[in-house]
Amino acid sequence: MVKISVLQHAPEAHLPTRPGDPTPTSRNLNPLMHPFARARERTRALNAAKMDRMFAKPFVDALEGHIDAVEVLIRQPGSLTTIASGSWDGGLILHNLSTRKQIVKLPQAHKGKLSGLCFAEGERLLSCGVDRNVKLWAVGSGATDTPLNVFPGKSAFNSIDHHRSDPLFATASNTVQIWDETKSAPISNLTFPTSTETITSVRFNLSESSVLASIGSDRTFTLYDIRTGKAERRTIMQMRSNSLAWSPTFPTTVLLASEDHNLYTFDIRHMSTPTQIYKAHVAAVMSCDWSPTGLEFVSGGWDRTVRIWKEGQGHSPEVYHTKRMQRVTSSIFSADARYVLSGSDDGNVRIWKAKASDKLGVVTARERAAIEYRDSLKERWKVDAEVSRVARTRHIPKSVHQASKLKRTMLDAQRVKEERRRKHTRAGENIPKAERKKVVIAEQT
Amino acid sequence: MDSLIAKADAIASVGKKRKIYHASSSKGSKKHDTTSDTTFHSVMKHTTVPKSFQNLPAKGDTPTYSHIANKKLRSELHRHTAQTARAQALLEEAEEMLLVDDAGRMEVEGEMEKTWRVGQNEIVKAAGLEAAKGRKEWKLDGGPYRSRYTRNGRHLAIVGKNGHAATFDWQTGTLHTELQLQETCRDITFLQDHTYFAVAQKKYVYIYDRDGVELHCLKSHIEPTRLEFLPYHWLLATVGNAGYLKYQDTSTGQLLVEHRTKMGACSAMTQNLHNAVIHLGHQNGCVTLWTPNLPHPAVQLLAHIGPVSSVSVDPSQGGRYMSTAGRDGTVKVWDCRNWKGAVREWSTRGSGDPEVEWSQRGSLAVASGGSVNVYNPPTIHTAMNTRASPPLYITHPITHRPLTSLRFAPFQDILTIGHGAGLSSILVPGSGEPNFDSAEADPFEGRKARSEREVKALLDKIQPDMITLDPEFIGSLAPPSKLTTSTTFDGKPPVDIPYSRLPRMERLKVSGKADTTEVVESGDEAVDSGEGDHGKKESREEREKRKMRGKGKSLKRYLRKQRKNVVDPTAVAIRAKLEKQREQKKREREVARNGGEAKKKRSALDRFKRTN
Repeated sequence: MVKISVLQHAPEAHLPTRPGDPTPTSRNLNPLMHPFARARERTRALNAAKMDRMFAKPFVDALEGHIDAVEVLIRQPGSLTTIASGSWDGGLILHNLSTRKQIVKLPQAHKGKLSGLCFAEGERLLSCGVDRNVKLWAVGSGATDTPLNVFPGKSAFNSIDHHRSDPLFATASNTVQIWDETKSAPISNLTFPTSTETITSVRFNLSESSVLASIGSDRTFTLYDIRTGKAERRTIMQMRSNSLAWSPTFPTTVLLASEDHNLYTFDIRHMSTPTQIYKAHVAAVMSCDWSPTGLEFVSGGWDRTVRIWKEGQGHSPEVYHTKRMQRVTSSIFSADARYVLSGSDDGNVRIWKAKASDKLGVVTARERAAIEYRDSLKERWKVDAEVSRVARTRHIPKSVHQASKLKRTMLDAQRVKEERRRKHTRAGENIPKAERKKVVIAEQT
Repeated sequence: MDSLIAKADAIASVGKKRKIYHASSSKGSKKHDTTSDTTFHSVMKHTTVPKSFQNLPAKGDTPTYSHIANKKLRSELHRHTAQTARAQALLEEAEEMLLVDDAGRMEVEGEMEKTWRVGQNEIVKAAGLEAAKGRKEWKLDGGPYRSRYTRNGRHLAIVGKNGHAATFDWQTGTLHTELQLQETCRDITFLQDHTYFAVAQKKYVYIYDRDGVELHCLKSHIEPTRLEFLPYHWLLATVGNAGYLKYQDTSTGQLLVEHRTKMGACSAMTQNLHNAVIHLGHQNGCVTLWTPNLPHPAVQLLAHIGPVSSVSVDPSQGGRYMSTAGRDGTVKVWDCRNWKGAVREWSTRGSGDPEVEWSQRGSLAVASGGSVNVYNPPTIHTAMNTRASPPLYITHPITHRPLTSLRFAPFQDILTIGHGAGLSSILVPGSGEPNFDSAEADPFEGRKARSEREVKALLDKIQPDMITLDPEFIGSLAPPSKLTTSTTFDGKPPVDIPYSRLPRMERLKVSGKADTTEVVESGDEAVDSGEGDHGKKESREEREKRKMRGKGKSLKRYLRKQRKNVVDPTAVAIRAKLEKQREQKKREREVARNGGEAKKKRSALDRFKRTN
């Protein structure tokens, strides 16, 4: 007796039961049923990378209003939309990001350059300038052209930062001074014993709120504690830093934007070496700011570019530029980490997307799923030569390109020279020094 | 209360039992001894372990990478293998649930019963109502017919030698188009789906749409005999009487490449579904394998004595086996990874051109003379020394000669035979893949799904230069660069170093630009040799050794490196110093020889010597 069974598909199992129903699908995961699965996935990854570049339109808007370079940009703590900008002409503007309107405009907040800004409790704003004054402004409902309070100082101020919780603020001039909002004279002066520098920037730590860091013109990075009232430690670097930012998520991490075209993250417990060097700028980095997530940060440079870095990845950042944007003097992340703002020499504050190909507006669930699939494809195929080339390639201005080429040539020549020198010295005498070890010259306590 | 509910098993899972896969380990089985615990069951449905802890692979199975020094790389590899193992486990679990249909089969009980004795009438009787529809006879005049199924097996295109072409949905019997082309037609193929098909006509290849409207006449394909469409690359490959293999990109319309086979007219062509390589069988008995990016065959083998009449590649083994049939009356099965002779060969009965065709599950159909024989997989792949034919599975006689084409319907147990009086479809139980994947080819897809698939396929189109014999090269590690030089440094074993990382001198040597001019030997060498030659002849080794002595001295080395035609003050000074040293040594030797008589006989010229 022969047993016979012939394959047949039951149509009712594969056809929709009622008109309008979705057609049932069936799956067979046998790899032989999916020829060229890898090749097709690569094609999809390549398409995803290309689409990413096609939709990369990062520039959102420019906020006008200043007539000179925008020296300082800050965001209001606890607000998604309010940011304040101060300019070299002493002007101070409060912008609303969503409406892109000016909330407050003070064209002559200070005489000369407005060098520092910070928000205080209760819709108030502190500004300092080279006119040796710190002014307290009301920016909420009762905004006026005259300051609520003026704190006169002895020398020009370079930076100001408010304490996280207490009504204290710190200013930077030739010393670091701690002020109480209710007193007209500084309550304490903090300075490193042997210091003769000009302090360029001062920042309170965000979680250990009595710790304070400053950078100075004599290439130093100094840590203070306002409880002990003195400078705790000082580090002298190879080149001076231009800007300073504490990480919002890792209290011990600090980011320095250096004059030597690099950015450095330091763990303040081990100041001898930076945890990471960030190399891409081709001129001095003028400003830096962390994303509120602590995973990214933005930097603006003298080379007219804004760059967005991933924490821990020291190369190939996202780079933004436009024809009309001049030297970038200030840059911040927005509070929702979706936008980046840059203020430049041409007096404009520009709004950029933090992810260049992000879609603004409502994203449906299917769209979200497609975006996530494309992202994972790009991640998976990033080692493929063509995919990585598409994902990596950026158009940058010719001047920046030339400068980076020149820089590479110079560094190469330096490296070769070093190598030759080593080759012709006795073995073991000229040991190569790690790049990270070169940054810090001395540590003082 | 909760425990009561749990006891009563009110919310315990009653759904179908899932087989949870565990690679091995007694640990795992111990953990699942708790299956009788109703509380566990009731809780299990509503709790989950974090994804990272689910289905962790057993420690013993995964390879360890402890030999890798780089910490980052090591942890990356560990994570990668764990994920792969987890995915594999999930896949195996999924397969149990996804593969619902069973393949057809025909089994005999006793030794004396044979499956090939079972005729089509018996099979049709035993088959289900739906499956029995597959047995058909189309009586058509217009010469021997060829046929082709779409990839989902739903639609059939037929073409007769005298110009009768038709496409239809064979299951519902809906005729899409019927054309009387009034000229010789040699082959037909669907393009991406049933909405387009190409016909190899007397002079050119023509493309028609579903309604039979002539869309294109491909005038660069002259006198075509066989057509193949590569679905993932969107390429239409044709070969003709002139022996040119041409690839036309049907998405862009450009003629991609044409290869001159140099072997005359060709009438046997097939594609390997798994690597998109085109197999051609030629008049001189050769079989050649072609890719668009090679101007010559990737593989060429002499398969038969006399013309090759048919070639087919096994889709069930990932394109590993190829079978060929020749006019010499033999059928051969080849292993495509190793071309050392046929795996198996046997001769067929009857005259004429035998035809071969593999099915999705690996059944091999051979049409020769007046009958079609089907053989089943494991035996056709096993190597045999004798030329005995493998055990027959099914045979079916057809009286209308010649038998010109064989096509298995995808996802069906159907074999369609084209012959002199039309076509006949027979049932071959177990030849078709029972479970289709809707993402690849779905026999039941609707209009919307079809158009969506077309767009998706276009987006996923693979570039033609990616076609190679090994399709897995994409995403695998790059081979080491060939621009390396085997170099030894400081007596270490030779290592292969890329050209760009070689030291400068090595680079110059490799590129033949190194300055190899001989260094002029300085006079001291001559003096030394003249002096040491005390009567006795030294052996070669000794001479070499002596020659080498003193070579290592830094001053001499310095001198050796200096060019003799350049007057360099330092070199001159050093030369003078060496000369002096040599004089000194010579004098000492003299002293030793003459027993303390240091005084040399002064010559008259000595008074002019400068003393210091």
